[in-house]
Amino acid sequence: MIEIRNVTKTYGKKQNAFVALNDISFVIPDGASVAIVGKSGSGKSTLMHAMSGLDRPEKGEVLIDGVDILKLKSKAVDKFRSEKIGFIFQAFFVQANESSYENVALPLEIADLSAKVRKKRVAAALRVVGLSDKEKQKARNLSGGQKQRLAIARAIVNQPRIIFADEPTGNLDTATGTTIEKLLFGLNKQSGGTLVIVTHDEELAAKCDMRIYIKDGKIDRLVGGKGGKK
Amino acid sequence: MKTTDIIRRAGRSLKHAKARTILTSLAIAVGAFTLTIALAAGEGAREYANTLLTTNIDPQVLAIAKDPSLFQGGKTGPQEYNPDSSIVARPNGASVKQLTQADIDAIAKRSDIASITPTYSINAQYITRAGQKKYTVEATTYDSGVTQTVLAGSLPPLRTSITNTQIALPEAYVSLLGFADDRAAIGQTVTIHLERTPSVTQAQIQQAIAQNDPAALQALTAKQVEDANYTVVAIVGKSATALTATTNVQISNDSAKALSEFSTAGTPSYHQYTIATASVKAGIDPAVVKKALVAEGYGVQTAKDLQSLLFTIVNTLQGIVIGFGVLALITSVFGIINTQYISVLERTREIGLMKALGMRGRHVSRLFQFEAAWIGFLGGVIGSLVAIIAGLALNPWITSTLSLGDGNVLLIFQPIPIILLIVVLMAIAMLAGYFPARKAARLDPIEALRTE
Repeated sequence: MIEIRNVTKTYGKKQNAFVALNDISFVIPDGASVAIVGKSGSGKSTLMHAMSGLDRPEKGEVLIDGVDILKLKSKAVDKFRSEKIGFIFQAFFVQANESSYENVALPLEIADLSAKVRKKRVAAALRVVGLSDKEKQKARNLSGGQKQRLAIARAIVNQPRIIFADEPTGNLDTATGTTIEKLLFGLNKQSGGTLVIVTHDEELAAKCDMRIYIKDGKIDRLVGGKGGKK
Repeated sequence: MKTTDIIRRAGRSLKHAKARTILTSLAIAVGAFTLTIALAAGEGAREYANTLLTTNIDPQVLAIAKDPSLFQGGKTGPQEYNPDSSIVARPNGASVKQLTQADIDAIAKRSDIASITPTYSINAQYITRAGQKKYTVEATTYDSGVTQTVLAGSLPPLRTSITNTQIALPEAYVSLLGFADDRAAIGQTVTIHLERTPSVTQAQIQQAIAQNDPAALQALTAKQVEDANYTVVAIVGKSATALTATTNVQISNDSAKALSEFSTAGTPSYHQYTIATASVKAGIDPAVVKKALVAEGYGVQTAKDLQSLLFTIVNTLQGIVIGFGVLALITSVFGIINTQYISVLERTREIGLMKALGMRGRHVSRLFQFEAAWIGFLGGVIGSLVAIIAGLALNPWITSTLSLGDGNVLLIFQPIPIILLIVVLMAIAMLAGYFPARKAARLDPIEALRTE
């Protein structure tokens, strides 16, 4: 369960201060698929960063399975991200000159798993996204859709509790985007983990169990969930 | 993250930027090349100096002087006057106390000394033989402790001297003295001519004047001459590893002593010697004898001292070359820093991703430091390999150009110093990679992953 309580994030100081997140609270139940929807500059990315431990809001609590990650030391936060979080980005961020295998193995190396376990897990993750035959191919030789599937394999390979997907279909054509969406939702149902999608695409958001609309750093609307205010 | 995984990733990153990696490591390779050559040349020069010493100098031999400062080039400035010991001015302005015959006798009586031979000064005028021209000559004592290259005739075995009527001639005199060839000279007689100005006392002059005998007066002031005849026993050639000056003719100890006494008779340098060569009895450490003699006020140099003196020269020269190598390395350090900074900039996304995935800043930093270490390793290996190949290829040419003699090489490559060198280069490269690595470690993943 993800519980966000009164999170406030301000950039800059004094007269230049800009409130990116203003007293945000909501609860996401385990296994849900959630869309954080808003225009660019609304604060939706900042919210995702705060939820995933990349950013530290100065006020509030981010409780993941009952632990406030804002109170953890940076080493523990890194460990938390490496064990419980998967990331998918709009621009894929796959390492073009590395093979598919090495791309997917990276989170496992960071999590300090043995080469044997890594091999098994990478093969399994590549199979799930349908890239088994591309294991040794350099990522630069893959198509856009394949790259995003590779990124998904990298996000699921350490069996995270939460996957954050930042505009996962933003760089893809409609057909490929649909495939990726299906893959993401399928995995969400199968694994029982939580899927958090950051998007401004209403169509994609509509497919999620819960939608959090962000406007000017505040929750504008909350659809399908509970516990938030405003 | 496991260190081996980081090292592997570092290696792969370098492989992806081959041109940059090679170019950066070539800068280090220049330093590594210079240092490898310096190490090899130092080793070779020391080895060569050792060969020279061991083939030329008996380890039991001591060089003894009255004046301990002789081996430091002599004392400058006024010296305490001693009526028994003359002081000889040296060309460099320093002056040196001489050994007296009493000193020589005292040392000869010591139980740990087998023999002592002063270096006689023989002021020979010329060498000649019947019907030939006269040539200047330097005569020295035959050194029975040195193996010499004999071109014709024969010399007695080691530690045995030639007889008092024998002479060993350097090959240069063969044609000068009109011999058909080396062999023709053997058994022939040559003459060394000495002259001295007589030392006349006041009384002798007064007596001659009193007797009004001009003939006696003339006889008193006439130059006294001596012609010493010797049989040529051997013609000595030049040896590549010989330290002794082979332009000198060599005569036996007793002959040298007699000639020296003749030329110095009546002068202050009669029975005065700058230096004497003593042989320590077998089984006794020359260093111990040296200590005892030094305690008595003598200046003593052992074969080991001479070796360390030669090594000091070699080490100084080696140090200069190493200095150039270090300069090249310092330059390459800036190259590494620059390259790694660019690499960090280029890979901002990759670093951001790794950090987002939970990689510790420490590990990111290590990744870049290991990359730098790899560059250092590559540079070290390239530089030392090129140095070894070039050195081994050029060694025969160097040996013949410097006429070091067969079997002697100037560049000696030893594995352990080269491996150490590579390790040190890796450490230096890692140090150089520190600042770029720190920059990478401090990157904010959110900033790094911003797409626009």
